[in-house]
Amino acid sequence: MPQISERHCTMKIMFKPFMKKLFGVKYERLSRTLLIDLILFWGLSISGFRTKIAPAVFSLTVSVFTGGVMWQALSSRDNTDDLQNMLMLPFDRRKMVFSYITALGAYTFLTKTALLLAVLLAVSNWGFPGLLTGLLCGIYGILAAAALFSLNRYRYVDGLRIAALTAAIVLSADHPWFLPVILAGCLSSFPVLLYADGYSFASCEKAGRHRRALAPVTGTGMHHRRHSMLRYLLRYLSARKNYLANTGFMWGIACVLPLFFRQMESLAVIPVGFAILSLNTPLCILLSCDPALEQAVRFLPGQERAFCLPYCAFIFLCNLAADSLFLTSWQLLAGGVPFLMFVTALFFALASAVCSVLLEWFLPVRNWKIESDLWHHPRKYIVPAVMLLAAGIIGAMLWG
Amino acid sequence: MNKSDTHLLEIQNLSACYGKEKTVLSHLFLNLAAHETVGLIGLNGAGKTTLFRVLSGLLPSFRADGIFFDGHCVKFRDKAFKTCRYTVFAEDNSFQYFTFGEYLSYVFASYGQKPWDVTELIKGFHFEDHAHVLLKDLSTGNRKKVFLITAFALKPKLLLLDEPVNGLDFQSTEYLYQLISGYKDYGTVLFSSHILESITLTSDRVIVLENGEIRQTFERGQINASDIRKALHNENNV
Repeated sequence: MPQISERHCTMKIMFKPFMKKLFGVKYERLSRTLLIDLILFWGLSISGFRTKIAPAVFSLTVSVFTGGVMWQALSSRDNTDDLQNMLMLPFDRRKMVFSYITALGAYTFLTKTALLLAVLLAVSNWGFPGLLTGLLCGIYGILAAAALFSLNRYRYVDGLRIAALTAAIVLSADHPWFLPVILAGCLSSFPVLLYADGYSFASCEKAGRHRRALAPVTGTGMHHRRHSMLRYLLRYLSARKNYLANTGFMWGIACVLPLFFRQMESLAVIPVGFAILSLNTPLCILLSCDPALEQAVRFLPGQERAFCLPYCAFIFLCNLAADSLFLTSWQLLAGGVPFLMFVTALFFALASAVCSVLLEWFLPVRNWKIESDLWHHPRKYIVPAVMLLAAGIIGAMLWG
Repeated sequence: MNKSDTHLLEIQNLSACYGKEKTVLSHLFLNLAAHETVGLIGLNGAGKTTLFRVLSGLLPSFRADGIFFDGHCVKFRDKAFKTCRYTVFAEDNSFQYFTFGEYLSYVFASYGQKPWDVTELIKGFHFEDHAHVLLKDLSTGNRKKVFLITAFALKPKLLLLDEPVNGLDFQSTEYLYQLISGYKDYGTVLFSSHILESITLTSDRVIVLENGEIRQTFERGQINASDIRKALHNENNV
């Protein structure tokens, strides 16, 4: 018995610092988030809006969303650095891994998945079984993401295991064997996590950094290349694969969006597409997610010109690329894109870039715990919302 | 409002705080003469870094009865003041995707200057092999060198160095002492350090900071390690 109590105590020692870091010293963030969830659920429930959500869609949405957010939390540089510091202490490997995953999992589920569940359960008629399904799918997503993240050599093999299990969960969503399948899915991640090393959660980025630092250096350093902020931003984007993936995803959306929009048979809907495509989160949180960079641009002189203008130009070019893909796709699928639409695309790309930079300059997001908070911060919807409003007005005026 | 005296920077009754409760600097009067090297010393939490953050325009929650630079009333966030000073922070992870050369070019462009030959500074800091490496891939000491080389190449009227010795190797530290001592030809240096040697070897004046206030000042001729150590011990006992 004393052994169990001792083990419990050690787990608690490791678990508490992670939890306090993520939820605040007095766990104040937890109560705030749950209150928002309740208000959202209650508000949507009394609004009377109801829709039918297929069990397969429900399970897939919750599992993939939770897994994605958990992956972001595990990749967060902030968490990795914290874990590196903890790993210097002589903790038990398994206790460390499970404390870390439990803390990040609780954070992911309670602050992110709970919000999604509040929306889904409020607009559907799922009730308690929905809550249970959501809970199980969330746990499955958390464990699957953690197991996959812990592997370096056999990540692709485990990726196949998770793909197969997810497919099984989706296919069995409205059958009685859903419960055993999802429980099996959750349990199947345990063996991977039992053999996981704490360092595998902290080492990915560090290893990459070390490799790059050892790369051969050419030149003597006497002649210096002139700076280019656009080159800086391209390096920044390409160094962060999830940022690049998000941009690629937006461009993919740009290609398929005309498939849905052309059914509306009005060109007035195209500006709405431009507004949707301005929702490129990682590009628009450059200062918020890099406090050191923010400090530098605040203390150096002339940064409105040296930093903000190239930053704005970069977002403009990314938005324009997405808008161009959207218009090209529309032209190929439906045809009849007038010249004025290209001018409108230019306007939307520029307006959203300017608004995004102004928001970052005057209202950067601060006091976030991990980077994934920034990705899901309500501020990211401000620019698209303003653009949607503009799209409605411009669409009605020119093509209504 | 102008003020005509020999001070390069004069700050009257400065108080700064984080949030509503945590006052870090209180009733601080600081005068820096032109072409002077001033060392700032104090225990952890004395307010050294906060003072540098205020001077760099990074901390808005401060108040002062007057701030004068070159005899003119200024604000720390004015562009005119910003272009006259540069800060090397104790820890700086900014612009990680620039190389040293690109960072140098960026800073010079921001200050409206054209970059010039910094070969001597690069050699002095033994930085030749790292000039084309991205800042994120540099070690802590080499990253510190990036900002120090930039600072001494830029030659602003007021140079603020927050713990510049931290992370530097022996040779670079010696070279930094030379640079700080010789900076009087170009402007004024205010630097903080926990290494007594760095303060005694280079400073014209040493300020001991305690709980956000100036406890003691050692003028030229009074500066010696044992007296400063004594002052710090007293501070510790307080």
